[in-house]
Amino acid sequence: MSDKTVTLAHGAGGSQTNELIETVFKAHFSNPEFTADDAAVLPVEKGRLAFSTDGFIVSPWRFNGGNIGKLSICGTVNDLSCMGAKPLYMTCAFVIEEGFPMDNLEEIASAMEKTAKEVGVKIVAGDTKVAGKGQCDGVFITTTGIGQIMENAHTSGAFAKDGDAVIVSGDVGRHGCTILLARDDYGIESDVDSDCAPLWGTVESLYSVTNDIHVIRDATRGGVGTVLYEIAGQSNVGITLNASSIPVDPRVKGVCGMLGLEPLYLACEGRLVIVAPQEHADKIVETLRKGKYTQNATIIGHITSEHIGRVVMETEIGTQTILPAPKGELLPRIC
Amino acid sequence: MNENMKKARDIITSYQGKPLRIMEVCGTHTHEIFRLGLRKLLPEQVDLISGPGCPVCVTAIGFIDEACWLALEKKCIICTFGDLIRVPGTKMSLAGARAKGAEVKPVYSPLDSLAIAEENPDRQVVFLAVGFETTTPSACITVKKAKQKGLTNFSILTANKTMPNAYQALVGSADAFLYPGHVNAITGNAVCQKLCNEQGVSGVVAGFTAGELLTALATTIRLLEKGEPFFRNCYPRVVKDEGNLSAQKLMQEVMQPCDSEWRGLGVIHDSGMKLRSEFADFDARIKHDMPNIVGKPNPACRCGEVLQGKCKPSDCKVFGKGCTPLHPIGACMVSDEGACSAYYQYTEHE
Amino acid sequence: MCVGLSARVVRVEDGTALIDASGAQREVSAGVLEDLEPGDFVMVHAGVAIAKITDSDENETDDLMENLS
Repeated sequence: MSDKTVTLAHGAGGSQTNELIETVFKAHFSNPEFTADDAAVLPVEKGRLAFSTDGFIVSPWRFNGGNIGKLSICGTVNDLSCMGAKPLYMTCAFVIEEGFPMDNLEEIASAMEKTAKEVGVKIVAGDTKVAGKGQCDGVFITTTGIGQIMENAHTSGAFAKDGDAVIVSGDVGRHGCTILLARDDYGIESDVDSDCAPLWGTVESLYSVTNDIHVIRDATRGGVGTVLYEIAGQSNVGITLNASSIPVDPRVKGVCGMLGLEPLYLACEGRLVIVAPQEHADKIVETLRKGKYTQNATIIGHITSEHIGRVVMETEIGTQTILPAPKGELLPRIC
Repeated sequence: MNENMKKARDIITSYQGKPLRIMEVCGTHTHEIFRLGLRKLLPEQVDLISGPGCPVCVTAIGFIDEACWLALEKKCIICTFGDLIRVPGTKMSLAGARAKGAEVKPVYSPLDSLAIAEENPDRQVVFLAVGFETTTPSACITVKKAKQKGLTNFSILTANKTMPNAYQALVGSADAFLYPGHVNAITGNAVCQKLCNEQGVSGVVAGFTAGELLTALATTIRLLEKGEPFFRNCYPRVVKDEGNLSAQKLMQEVMQPCDSEWRGLGVIHDSGMKLRSEFADFDARIKHDMPNIVGKPNPACRCGEVLQGKCKPSDCKVFGKGCTPLHPIGACMVSDEGACSAYYQYTEHE
Repeated sequence: MCVGLSARVVRVEDGTALIDASGAQREVSAGVLEDLEPGDFVMVHAGVAIAKITDSDENETDDLMENLS
């Protein structure tokens, strides 16, 4: 442990900036393509590229099951993966608050390295800015990634068809629940951990079953419920869910029970919603269940030409009821 | 579904008698009934209407104005149940006040606002005490603790309400009530039993699980068929006839009855609770020399009639047009337990 | 109007109970329930244990439904 912290001088572009890059970032992100020049130079491949960017702010920066570094790699990797693209290269830009402990930055960079290595994506360029105390909260990270789309992959939120199965790759709402508890606003303790995970391997395994996959979306902010409403809107279809088949960790259920929250609207960071023809559904689930992050994969419903634009739940008493559409801020319902 | 649930379901779906109006008084019942799609089981002649039992919905608009005044003029930290944050006041909601720099913190329990007061000794902290008999004990415990700790930067803004006189105001608006289980857990069943014995008002105490709601509804329908006034406790695992005597004693010690304004129902005599004079130091209105603030509701909003079961949400001109869960005009559209919000979110409409 | 949560009491100390709802734990006031003991089930509302209860609703509906015919 050292007591060194990031100072404004680390962001001034001089020798201390170089020191920060050498000791923290290069030490972790080093690869032949990591550039010392103004831009990374990459070979051009044939076919189609997917290109995506995402900004990450999370408070607290470290949580049960990950940290902002891991999250920033997973987020962009998963966005690319959902397009059927193998993540190849990434850049990352840091905004660091003056006074942020160097050891913590090291921990974040180390998590990024580990996650990137697991996926096989290379970090090829980066940027560091230091903001004055109070101008940002700890550290903000923006990652951008390029991926090569597999030849036979054609997915979009607009491709869901009447009769398709709707599959979720694991239990819902864990990340949102973890962060809610980590902020400690509600005095609730639980060992629930974030589902934060890079899902390229998962997507690759899907395509080992069939190329005939209509939609792959990662559920992040807004949770699985929000993604389902987006798919219903984009594809101009209805979605029917079986309420009892939606996987929810008991700990998440407990927290949601206390605060009157709907798990389907809590954030995930390692969950895919997959829409594919019924005939492939069982095989997809079987394959997913062998995967590292997807052992609780299950079919939760189907696409229908009824109730267009809406998500409808089949309830425990045998009726159908609309899943309320997503709203803004999640606020506990108590009194 | 187990056998009993199926049996209860069959009683409900096969009812063929005269038209029935059953009012679920409690907002949490409204929410669960919609979540379960229970209305879809009802035969045409059974009408389930939503009553005034959502504290957010019946809280007078002036209360929000008072809270905004404390937040913006007195720079108090406002601690509140999350449900209240988006309720529109005359000019703005607490979310609007927050955008203007006010500090508004959602809490799970009023007790949590004591910790916030202790962490911010140079700030005044106010907890917004809304709720019925179920919730009022938590505010009373909090005030007693604050007094024990000698906190000088904590107070509560009371809008606590009690049900008995509201039931009186609602007599005749339904053939039977589904009484709010968690209110009865505190108050006991005497008031409901008395309504039945003396005024012939029928009702059952209902719980909140699918099984409990089906049972309560099936019981209500069966007993209405028989035609005699009735009272039944269909939630005995939680509700005892005498209620929670310690909680009743605590409320009497810390608070006293007062007249209270209910959105839609107007001022009902002795239907509210305010702090006793021994606890005046913790009364935000007294502590912060609050002027008399009178709220002005939007004239187009018919929340008041909705709350009394006099009209359906969809009968209101602004429902689903100017007034939606994202941009609510009336309180019934804000709260997830509000009838308008539930109708909007759970029914097909353009 | 009153979201309640049934939970198991883990420990009781000085009028405060630690309760557990499928692994989510929180301290709540036991100020209006005397004689709470670890293992009891309670209904919790807004940070206060308001009633001692039986955990499952199954037997409850059994009895009620048997009397309805």
